[in-house]
This record gives sequence, C-alpha cells and structure tokens, in this order.
Amino acid sequence: MLISCNKLKSHIKNPEDIDWLNIWDTFTLRTAEVEKVTIMGDKFDNVVVGEIKECVAHPNSDHMHILQVDYGANEPIQVVCGANNVRVGLKTAYIKVGGHIDGEEIKARPLRGVLSNGMCCSGRELGISDDHDGIIEAPDDWVVGRDLKDYLPVRDIVVEIDNKSLTNRPDLWGHYGIAREICAITDHELLPLDILEIPNDKEDLDIVIKDDNLCYRYTGLKIENIKNNKTPLDMQIFLFYVGMRSISLLVDLTNYLMMELGQPMHAFDARVVKNIEVGTASDGDTYTTLDGETRKLSSDTLMIKNGDKYFGIAGVMGGLDSEILNDTTSVFLESACFNAASIRRTATKLGLRTEASARYEKSLDPNMTDLAIKRLAYLLKESNPDMIIASNLTDVYPKRLEEENIILDKNTLSIYMGRTLEDEEVVRILEKLGFKVEVESTYYNITVPTFRATKDIKIKEDIIEEIARIYGLENFTPKPLKLDLTVTEHETTYNEEYEVKYLLASKYNMHEVHSYIWYDTDLLKELNIEKNNIKVLGKEANNILRDDLSLSLMTIVKENFKNYSNFKIFEIGTIIENNENKRVLSIILTDTEKNMENIYNDAKTIVKYLFKVLKNKEVTYTNNVNESSYHNDKLGKIINIDNTKIGEINVLTKACTNKLSKKKSVVMIDIDFDKYVKLSKTQVLSKEISKYPEVELDYTIILEDKKYEDLEKVLKTFLSKLIRSYRLVDVYENKYLIRYTLGSDFKTLEQKDLQTFKERFIRHIKENGLNIIE
Amino acid sequence: MEEKLSKLKEELQKKLEEATKEADILNIKSEYVGKKSEISSLLSSLKDMSIEDKKKYGTMINNTKKEFEELVTRRLETLENSGEITFDDTLDYEVENGSLHPVTIIGKEITDILKRMGFTVVTGPEMESEYYNFEALNVPKDHPARDMQDTYFLDNGMVLRTQTSDNQIHAMENFGAPLRICAPGRVFRNEDLDANHENTFFQIEGMVIDKGVTIENLLYVMQNLLKEVFHEEVKVRLRPGFFPFTEPSYEMDMSCLICGGKGCPTCKNSGWIEMVGSGMVHPSVLRAGGIDPEEYTGFAFGFGLTRLAMMKYKINDIRVLNSGNIRYLKEFDLK
Repeated sequence: MLISCNKLKSHIKNPEDIDWLNIWDTFTLRTAEVEKVTIMGDKFDNVVVGEIKECVAHPNSDHMHILQVDYGANEPIQVVCGANNVRVGLKTAYIKVGGHIDGEEIKARPLRGVLSNGMCCSGRELGISDDHDGIIEAPDDWVVGRDLKDYLPVRDIVVEIDNKSLTNRPDLWGHYGIAREICAITDHELLPLDILEIPNDKEDLDIVIKDDNLCYRYTGLKIENIKNNKTPLDMQIFLFYVGMRSISLLVDLTNYLMMELGQPMHAFDARVVKNIEVGTASDGDTYTTLDGETRKLSSDTLMIKNGDKYFGIAGVMGGLDSEILNDTTSVFLESACFNAASIRRTATKLGLRTEASARYEKSLDPNMTDLAIKRLAYLLKESNPDMIIASNLTDVYPKRLEEENIILDKNTLSIYMGRTLEDEEVVRILEKLGFKVEVESTYYNITVPTFRATKDIKIKEDIIEEIARIYGLENFTPKPLKLDLTVTEHETTYNEEYEVKYLLASKYNMHEVHSYIWYDTDLLKELNIEKNNIKVLGKEANNILRDDLSLSLMTIVKENFKNYSNFKIFEIGTIIENNENKRVLSIILTDTEKNMENIYNDAKTIVKYLFKVLKNKEVTYTNNVNESSYHNDKLGKIINIDNTKIGEINVLTKACTNKLSKKKSVVMIDIDFDKYVKLSKTQVLSKEISKYPEVELDYTIILEDKKYEDLEKVLKTFLSKLIRSYRLVDVYENKYLIRYTLGSDFKTLEQKDLQTFKERFIRHIKENGLNIIE
Repeated sequence: MEEKLSKLKEELQKKLEEATKEADILNIKSEYVGKKSEISSLLSSLKDMSIEDKKKYGTMINNTKKEFEELVTRRLETLENSGEITFDDTLDYEVENGSLHPVTIIGKEITDILKRMGFTVVTGPEMESEYYNFEALNVPKDHPARDMQDTYFLDNGMVLRTQTSDNQIHAMENFGAPLRICAPGRVFRNEDLDANHENTFFQIEGMVIDKGVTIENLLYVMQNLLKEVFHEEVKVRLRPGFFPFTEPSYEMDMSCLICGGKGCPTCKNSGWIEMVGSGMVHPSVLRAGGIDPEEYTGFAFGFGLTRLAMMKYKINDIRVLNSGNIRYLKEFDLK
C-alpha cells in the first residue's frame, strides 16, 4: 500500500517535529514492513502559473494553437500548444525555457514552423496525475508567475508498505490508521477528522439487510444539488501518488475516503436507486460489473440489489447501470461493512480482487461506516456549498459491535517482556494506540477500540504484543535459558537416517537425491505403468502420490543417464501406502546392460553391509515373486532380517530401462525405514579368541548348471570342529573360490590335521556331485 | 689380537663400501661373521686359552663380532634407502566422492547445534491431517492460508503439510511440558516453480516450553544458531509479524552477510535479511497440545532449511535441489 506523508501530516499535531524520511526504519520495527520510500516532486522545475492572454489557431495544424502566455515577465511569451482546453483567461502550468521535466531540458523550438518558448503542461506531463485531457486548469485566484509547487502538494514522500505485513491490521488500510501508529511511535497527538453532522429531520432511505451474518451494517445517505463534479488538483495529486485514478469528484471522494479511513464506499446515481436490499444471489445468475465483464454468480455471492435487480457485488465491485454519469447531480452514498470471509471467497472465486475487497477481507470495523459518510459529506460540501442533504443518515446495524475489555495481569506482562514496565509507560503506549486503560494494583483493565477488535486483539497476549512493539523490540537482548540438566526425550529417526546416508555416501560414493512426493505422470505414461494412489486435488499432472520410492526416482535416473552410464543414488523419503505415511530408503544402482550382474551383486553386498555395521544383523535373501509390471520377475529378492521382510531388491524390466536409456541396467533397493528404525541393534559381545594361530585354506569348486545356493547347501552339511568360518571369495566363470578359516582352541594345527581336513572336504564335495580343483 | 681384529674391521668396512648389491653384502656377512668366518674361529679358539686370556679376549672378540654385525646391518639399510623406485610415484588420480544433499548437510549442522542446547530432534509426517496442519495451530477454517491456492489438499481429506509446525502439536502430545524440540522436515506449497520458488522444500521448526520462557530466550537461541552456522558474528533483530500460532509474533531478520549490513541487492538495501518466523506460543496452541497456558509459556520458531542451504552455498536456482542432477550435487560431498 502506498502512503503519502503529506496526508499523514494533515492528521498529526506538530508534524514538523518528525523526520519524515527516516521514521520509516522505525516504523518497520514497530508496526509493518516498509518496502520503499520515494521522494516525489523533484521531477520538474521552473514550472509557474501562466495565464493565456491570446489564443489563435495554428495555421499549419488542425488542432494546435498559438498562445501568448503571461508568466510574470514583462512581456507575454509565445507558446504553441496542442491541448483542446486552451482559451483566453485560462490559468495553467507553464514550464519556462531551461526548465526540466524528468531530466530533459525544455528548449525553445519551432512546432510546424512556429516558435514555441516552453510549454503548457497537463498533469500527466508533469507526473502529478493521470490527467491528459488537456492542460492543467488552475483556480482563478492563483498568482501568475508563482511556482506551481507553492500551490500544489507536489513535494511529498511516498512510502510503500508491504501489504502482507498489514494482513492482520484492518485499521492500517487507510492513512488515518497509519497516522495513529506514527503518533504512538513518536509520541505525537492525532487530530480528529472534520466531519459534517447530518440532521435527522428527513425521511429514511429504504434499506434492508437480508442476511446479517454476511452484512453487518449498511449506512446510506442521499445528497442532491451537486453541481461541481471536478476534483480539486491537490486531491488529484494525492490519489495519483497513492496509485488511484482520478475520475470525477464523487468517485474520487469515495476513493479518497478509502485511502484515508480504509472504508470502501460507493456512490450510486440517486436517479436509479429505488430501494436497497443486501442479500445473496441465485445460483447460475450472471451480472455485468463496472469493468464490462459478465460474472457468474452463486448462492453464496453477496449482492446489493436495487428494486429486485442486481446493483453491485457487495464489497467487490459495482455495476454499469449505477455508475456516476456526467449529468449526475444527486447521489446515494453507501458505506457498509461485510463479512470478511464471504468477501474473500467471492473475490477469489470471481478472480476479481479490488481495493475494496482487499480491505473488506481484512475484517473492517463496522463502527466507521457513519464516520466515513459524514467525512465524505464534509469534503463534498467544500466544493459544493449548495448541496442538499436529501435523506436521514439511514443506518441499518442489526448487531452492534461493542467495545470489549481485556484484563492483563502485570505479572504475565513481566514474564513475556522479561522485565517490568512502569504503569505510566504501559498506559501511554496503549492510549496512543487508541486503547483505554484503567490501572489496578495487580492488573490493567483495558478497553479495546473496535477498530482493533474485529480480528487482531482478542486476548491478553495480543495486548502484550502491542506494548512490546511500541516499547521497542530492539530493547530485548538475547538471554540463555537457565541451566537445566533434564535428559530430553530420545528420538532416533533423524539420526539413524543421517547415519545411513553418511555411510552410503562415504563408503559407496553414492549421491543423495531428493525427489517429489508425487509421481512424474508423464514418465509413468512413457513407461506404461498405471498407478492408483491418493491424489492431489486440483492438480492436472504429477498428481498421484508415490507408493514406490525407487520408481519415483526413475525421473532422476533418466536425467542422469544423459551424462553418466553408471551411477549410484539414494533417497530416504516418504511414500504413501495404504493411506499411511511410510519412510523408505531407496538405493538405485545403474550400469551398462552387460554389467548388470555386477551391480546386482553389489546391491546384495551393500544391504548386507548396512545391516551388519549399523544393526549387527544378518541379512538373508529369498526369491520374490514379483507382481509389479516394471520389475524383472525372475530377479526379485526379498531382504529378510530374522526371517521377516524388511525390503526388496529388484531389477527394472528391460522395456522400462530402454525408455530411460538404451542398453543400461537399473537395480533398485527399497528398505522399509520405519521397520529399520524400530530394529534394535543386536548387542555386540566380545569373544575369547584362541591363542593358537588360524589357517586359511582356499578351494575352487566347479559348478555345472548349479548356483551358489546349491553349493552353499553342500558346504553347510560339511562339519568339522576345525572350521571357524568359510566364505565365498571370488567367482570366475563357473569356478567358485571358497576360503575356509581353520583353527583350534587347544593347539597349533599341524600339516597332518590340514591334510585330513582337505581329504575329507574333497570327498564331501565329490560325494555331493560337484567338481573341485585339487 | 687387537691388531688382528682391527685389521679385520678395516677389511670388512672396505668390502662393505664396495659392495652395491644386497646379495654381495650377505656374502660378506657370512665371510666375516658367519660360521666359517675368522671371528668364529677366533671365538672357538678361546676354549684353549688360559682363564686370564679367556676373560681378556672373550669380551673383546664378542664385542667385535657384534660391531661387525652392526656394520653389515647398517650397510644393508643404506642400500635399501638408496634403492631405485620401481613404480611411478607421481601418479595422481582424481578421487571419486559420494555426496550428501545440501539440505541434509545443513540440517545435520543445525540439529547438532540445537542438540548442544538441549533440543530433541523429532520428525513428523508429510501427509498430515487438517487438524494438525491447521486447526490445532489456531488456523481457523476461513484463514487465507487454508485456501486452495496455497495448500495441496488430497482426495482422502488430508493435506500435504504446509509447514513443520504440525510437529509442535505432536511433540506436546507426545512429551508434555517442559519441552525442547526441533523438527526438520519437508513441506509443500502450491507454488509455480522458478529460480526462487519450489512447491517442495525443507523447514525446521523449534519449540521450547517451560515456566517463565521469554522472547529473549528465543533471541539467544537464534543468534547463537546463526552464528554457529555462518561462523561469524550475526546480528538479529525482531519485527512485528503475524502468525496464527504465535502471539506475540515476530519476524526475525539477520544482518546481511553479503554486504555486512551496509545494504546491497540481496538485502534490498536494507542491510537485513528476513530469516525466521517466530513468537511466543499462542495460548490456544498450548491448549491444543494439552498444556496449561496459565502455567507455562513457550516460544516457537521456524525457518527454511532450503533457503539457508541456498544462502550458505550460494545456490542461485532452487530447482536444482530437487533435480537429482549428479553433475550439480556431487560438489557438496559430505560435510
């Protein structure tokens, strides 16, 4: 929101004591975030009041005139001007030769063969209004030759306040509220507004509120005999500086009041108003708003109706048929208060956020509607002294918002503030903000003004916030919490996730990635995979939540195949399975097609290692009958701990892999991380070791049409007291190298012991139908 | 005898000097200290000597033998050290490293600091009920934050959580007061993606509840946290803010580290960077967590882990963080 400092000054007593350029840093710390401070009025110089003394048509142009302009020098000067409102006797803004607009110097130059010395300016040319219909029309009493800036509030400081930081402050959506804050911050006095009291001696207007949950108050007033509909130049400049377009006095005044008090208003042409009814629309009806758009209405759209016809969308925008026209001399003024949520919903639904709806959705104070009308009447009368109040100030206000009191005990205040404040300081701060305070011995009894009560101030903590911010948040200093050695709760999940991640990245050179919680639906389509799971509402693509983490990582795999043919990535992430959150660790190993065997075996080793070093658990693998279409149905393995499934190893089908990249292989590991975290580490117990040395013996066994699992069965049935352990060391073609570690607790093994072992072992292998290299 | 021994020593030294191969030295060794060496025969001749001579020469010969052995060993060592290198010791391979995600790294760093201050690290669900994501946090039905445009609503009536603050309620329910928790986690907002906006990013939540906790304690925690993360003095300041779940609410800014507070494009010339949403826990939130607001006060804070990672590592496009692009991620290594 844009704020004019000139306007603020008009509401504050002794405003000259305030440093208007630098107060805004403090305002940011006390009230709301200031985004920009702009100094206005230095865009032009040498602009003075000029009077047109002569005016003749330009011989070489169909619209230009040759003027003689008196600007206070001895002789009038010749100026060529294309504006259509030039006439003898008009006082206007004249920029001298040598003057500047936007850094550009004005020079004497011929226009269609006639020399023009300087220029008569429109408001837009000077950057002080939107008006470009003609040159500025200054009042008759302005003195020729005087600097324009002596008459018009061109010099100003305009401040942009972040709208978001005003979300909770309906009272700050007008200059008057901002001025109140400045007064509290700088200890100044806020001036009351000049208003016109309306005598209650005429007829009431016909106003009915159908739904008092959606419309809290509707105040109306009819004024007639409005002859001057021209907006004073200073008001035009103000409106321009705060981002509003000047249209006509009546429209501008409603906007002016919205900028001043934050109260949106509406001026209807009184000729078309029969009776006003505020109620909801019928489903499916349409209505054309002021901007010419036809809007679809629904049964929760609150409407202003006039004699059974829609007249405006309440709090959002009026319609074409009620617009103020050039010949309007009587108006029906609306100043109302609507339900904030209803306005927000309507504005959102229609995609139509207006200055009015932006304010209404903040929860405005219903108690300011009459003040706004009286203020508008006062301002209107300044330029229309003969106007006639044609009705009573008709006020329909079914449920009056009364002021409420909050008790704030001094002890709570001290705890929150970390210090104890003097009563006088608390009272001063709150009163400047519009609160009333009664000081009791242990508490304050505080009356909350209704302009703060609609949303913001409800409980004592809200009052503490008010005191703290005006007291100055920079006065708070960091303080450590007092010594407390209570053991805090033990939660291992985050740490366990970190341990696993660190291990995979450090030992196996893997890269941790993050992927989205929803499937890449384009990729699913490409891979010909159908997934049914919880969906995200209102999202067209990528709207199915993932139930398979490693599958969702295929987007990333595809991307990385562009640069690498073999890589290792992992993620610990959430999937949604059976309507529940579930944490999963997925590891993806990739390589060329011919290296599939390697990464497949790596996968098994990695999982084994992980559980061995972090949980001291033995992993066993069993074959998995795969149901999912995208996993190779022969190579699936179930990862078991203590005979319970904790995960799977799978190979992506060739068809799917080819869609990611040609001639590659993808192995995917998925481990149920919730189960992993629950798995307690098997206790490590130290073992007595034999004092005699151990011996290693290697055997190479040849398998024909058999697998290691067959060999293992044979090895398991070979028993000897000497066996400490055996393991698979290497495989070359069909040759499996097995290494036995032998030892004894009672003696150093001798050659004959080893010889006996060897003979027995070879016999065992051969008896089981396997070949061994002797 | 002395003469004989010293002559032998001279001979040995000379031969050792000339020898350049290990085998030669070993030959010399057996010649001078081996079983058939002069020294050995001298030693065996001792048995025929008188007791006096035995005493006198025994020690002498033995010492000389030791001395000879010593000389050989030393010569062998020098030869070893002066030996030619048989492999290319100048090879220099590039290391291939794995990497942790920058958010993981910064999350670990921050939780470690908070743990030193006594915080428990908790985690919460990404798919959350509206109760924990909104109602319990004092976000009423009509609050703009609940609008369709900000929140991902799901067809099972739940939402993808929009903030990690749901952990406040879970933690109060699980642990009660007093309480000190922090909760890193992933959150979701319905945003269009660009260099600065993601719909999926990480936050960390913090909450402390005890008797007499004040906003100044929060200032302490945040100032020290940021100081430890950035390894330099960071100034923090509070501004009024608005969050439904805290009252009073504060925006916390930190001094801009790029310009040192003088003003630059990054901090929009203000010298400050908006960093943390914080405040005193709203009484309704305490009540929702089963804690009596008349007995306990607390503070809570939340900030973007993703954002902090971007600041710390000067990442200028947020989208790379969810891209899984190894070319980019591998730079981050492990710490």
